Amino acid sequence: MADSVLIKIINGALRYKGEGQYVLSQVNMSIAKHQWTSVLGKSGCGKTSLLRFLAGLLDEKVDWSGSVETPLQGDLSQHVAYMAQQDLLMPWLSVMDNVCLRFRLSNKKITEPEKQQATALIEQVGLLDKIHHFPEQLSGGMRQRVALARTLMQDKPLVLMDEPFSALDAVTRYQLQNLSVTLLQNKTIVLITHDPQEALRLSSKIYLMHGQPAQCHSFPVPTMDVPRRLSGEIAQLQQQLIEQLGKNHASS
Amino acid sequence: MPPRNPFTRSAQSAEVKPRKIGSSLLQGVITVIVILAIWQCIVIFFKMPSFILPSPGAVLQKLVQRADVLVFHAWVTMQEILLGLLLGLTMGLFFALQMLLFKPLKRWLLPILIASQAIPVFAIAPILMLWLGYGIASKVVMAALIIFFPVTTCCYDGLRSTPTGYLDLAQTMSASRWQTLRHIRLPAALPTLASGIRVAVVVAPIGAVVGEWVGSSAGLGYLMLQANARMMIDEMFAALFILALFSISLYFMTDQCLKRAIHWRL
Amino acid sequence: MNNRIKKGCVTLLLSVLSLSACAQNKRVTLMLDWFVNPNHGPIIVALQQGYFDEQGLTVKIQEPADPSLPAKLVAANKVDLAISYQTSLTIDVAAKLPLIRASTLISTPLNTMMVLDNGKINTLADLKGKKIGIAIAGNEEAIIGTMLQTAGVNYSDVEIIHVGWALSSALASGKVDAIWGGFRNFESNQLAIEGYPSKAFYPEEHGVPMYDELVVVANADHYDADAIGKFNKAIEKATAYILNHPKKAWTIFVSYSPDTLDNELNQRAWRDTLTRFDLRPAAVDLKRYDEFTQFLFDHKVIPFKPKSGDFVPTL
Repeated sequence: MADSVLIKIINGALRYKGEGQYVLSQVNMSIAKHQWTSVLGKSGCGKTSLLRFLAGLLDEKVDWSGSVETPLQGDLSQHVAYMAQQDLLMPWLSVMDNVCLRFRLSNKKITEPEKQQATALIEQVGLLDKIHHFPEQLSGGMRQRVALARTLMQDKPLVLMDEPFSALDAVTRYQLQNLSVTLLQNKTIVLITHDPQEALRLSSKIYLMHGQPAQCHSFPVPTMDVPRRLSGEIAQLQQQLIEQLGKNHASS
Repeated sequence: MPPRNPFTRSAQSAEVKPRKIGSSLLQGVITVIVILAIWQCIVIFFKMPSFILPSPGAVLQKLVQRADVLVFHAWVTMQEILLGLLLGLTMGLFFALQMLLFKPLKRWLLPILIASQAIPVFAIAPILMLWLGYGIASKVVMAALIIFFPVTTCCYDGLRSTPTGYLDLAQTMSASRWQTLRHIRLPAALPTLASGIRVAVVVAPIGAVVGEWVGSSAGLGYLMLQANARMMIDEMFAALFILALFSISLYFMTDQCLKRAIHWRL
Repeated sequence: MNNRIKKGCVTLLLSVLSLSACAQNKRVTLMLDWFVNPNHGPIIVALQQGYFDEQGLTVKIQEPADPSLPAKLVAANKVDLAISYQTSLTIDVAAKLPLIRASTLISTPLNTMMVLDNGKINTLADLKGKKIGIAIAGNEEAIIGTMLQTAGVNYSDVEIIHVGWALSSALASGKVDAIWGGFRNFESNQLAIEGYPSKAFYPEEHGVPMYDELVVVANADHYDADAIGKFNKAIEKATAYILNHPKKAWTIFVSYSPDTLDNELNQRAWRDTLTRFDLRPAAVDLKRYDEFTQFLFDHKVIPFKPKSGDFVPTL
């Protein structure tokens, strides 16, 4: 069982330096390997802080107590790929160069196999014909697909996603969710979202985050394989989730 | 690998472009003609003596008649302006980087930066002449000095206001400080720097010509002084015209180049 | 209380009287060529001594920012009189500016070719291949060229650099080897005070015809001959006073603006200027003007020769 858990957070508490109030406290989470784990909560509840902490972006800015256990070697942030709500494509780089950004940033020459891998990834996200285009020439959905390819090119076991589909229209979002599940098969994903339906479609585990400081509770999910089709059961669970989120909101 | 060309966006935009350039050219020509007509009317109706306002015809005649002299002096001024731009841009970029990389240095550099803008170039021009001589160096420094402030502030602002998302992404890709600067901060600062360069291109000629007025042996400013002393106001206007023409075309050329090179907005 | 009212009445009466005196006076605006300096001695002394008032003139003095401006303002009929130079006047008249000479202030050249007295340049011939700093006046090629020619040096053998009004510092700092355009009574003293003894080559001794350095110009179409006549009477009287009482005249001169005028440079310049003032400001010598016009024409400074009789009228 221990094998199938990639990260275990025990009694996590987090506070920004210089501020008295904790943002998170008593966070207990276990993130299963090669699965999607969603963290669901209202905006501003602290879920992004958790994700940024795991990505190693808050190192000097916060006090953290509690433990993060992982079988991965070394610093957790070394094994992380990050996908944000904005696609964060560099407007001065072509699709190809954006996908290969990590080589640029580590001053490494791109080898021929790597180039082929990047091309293959761009093909998989369906943008082979746009490989030399610039981000400004692409639609929002296409840009997020490039971001997905860039994330895959990073080839990290853990992918942290901060509402990457939230800025897209419903159809595009649906398609991109399916594509992500297919392409991220062998990765462990932590998905931050405020959309109950998204969480229900993609995750094998859902944590609800609420309160001040925020705590988290797990929420039961259907047993079907992801990505799940929208069914009566999903709709029902979605209703429950929304009610629970609303209740927590009222109580806090 | 096919060449990267940001301008093959779509057939539609490719069609629109030439028409746009053509119409803006037409606009420019119409503007010039209207100004010349108003000018000629003022000369005729107010009976302007030629030593106050020569007619456009007289100026045009001088442009043709003294073409060789005008070209020689224009070339001198042009060199001063271009070298001044080069020096000013390099210095501005260097200062902005220093201020970004070594935060405590900013407190020391800022007064220098503000002084460079607050002291009128006319006031320091004679001193610069004595230090640097009456050759090209003093004019280059004058032009550089006058553009130093806009370039540095634009560059610094651009470097400082990199979207945090980009920096986060770079950090998760474990980029070093230098690589982040080189691949993220610098390119992200380019659009802001470009507006600095546009301002610089317009004001740099002022520095060069002020320098020539204070001390020189060639250049359009020198020619204007000489024409003024000899009461050849039409020749003075001809020199002025060349200077304006050069400044305007330099601006539009720079603008086009920048638009092509920096086709994105943050 | 009573006393105070009396005093007030007297002051009021006096001011009314002086106002009415002014009202009878002819008002004349005079623009100098530069800020007030000893070259303007007769004008300032006439003003301070009330010689203009005696003639029924009220002269208002203005100082320009640019010495090429005053003559243009006279031509545009914006000021009545301006101080200019015979060289500039001839160029202006040849460019069809409506100007006449109204009087002469200084009747010899003041411009000189100046070098540092350090043994490096001893004759004009030594200037070959050297740098000459000028403040552009439009006649440099004619005059410098002529002077150099007398020493067998071509104008193209020297480098001419416009140094604006920083003539003395350009020479002292060694940025140029000689300066043209410095006044023999002013720049030489300035350099001496700064510790740089200088040497001068005089144009009239090296092939350049005599000319009037400082003249007063008026508008050819709108001049008031009567006012100019009175103006000339007043400065003639002032010039005589200066020559008779040079020390007293100096104190009168500086009393115009003690803060800016009372310094060592002006005192030295004053001494050297005394001999240069024209004793007969109204006097006309057409032949002399014609010769200088011919000189400028020969050197292609002016496109044609204006007749002296037309711009140097006998008033």
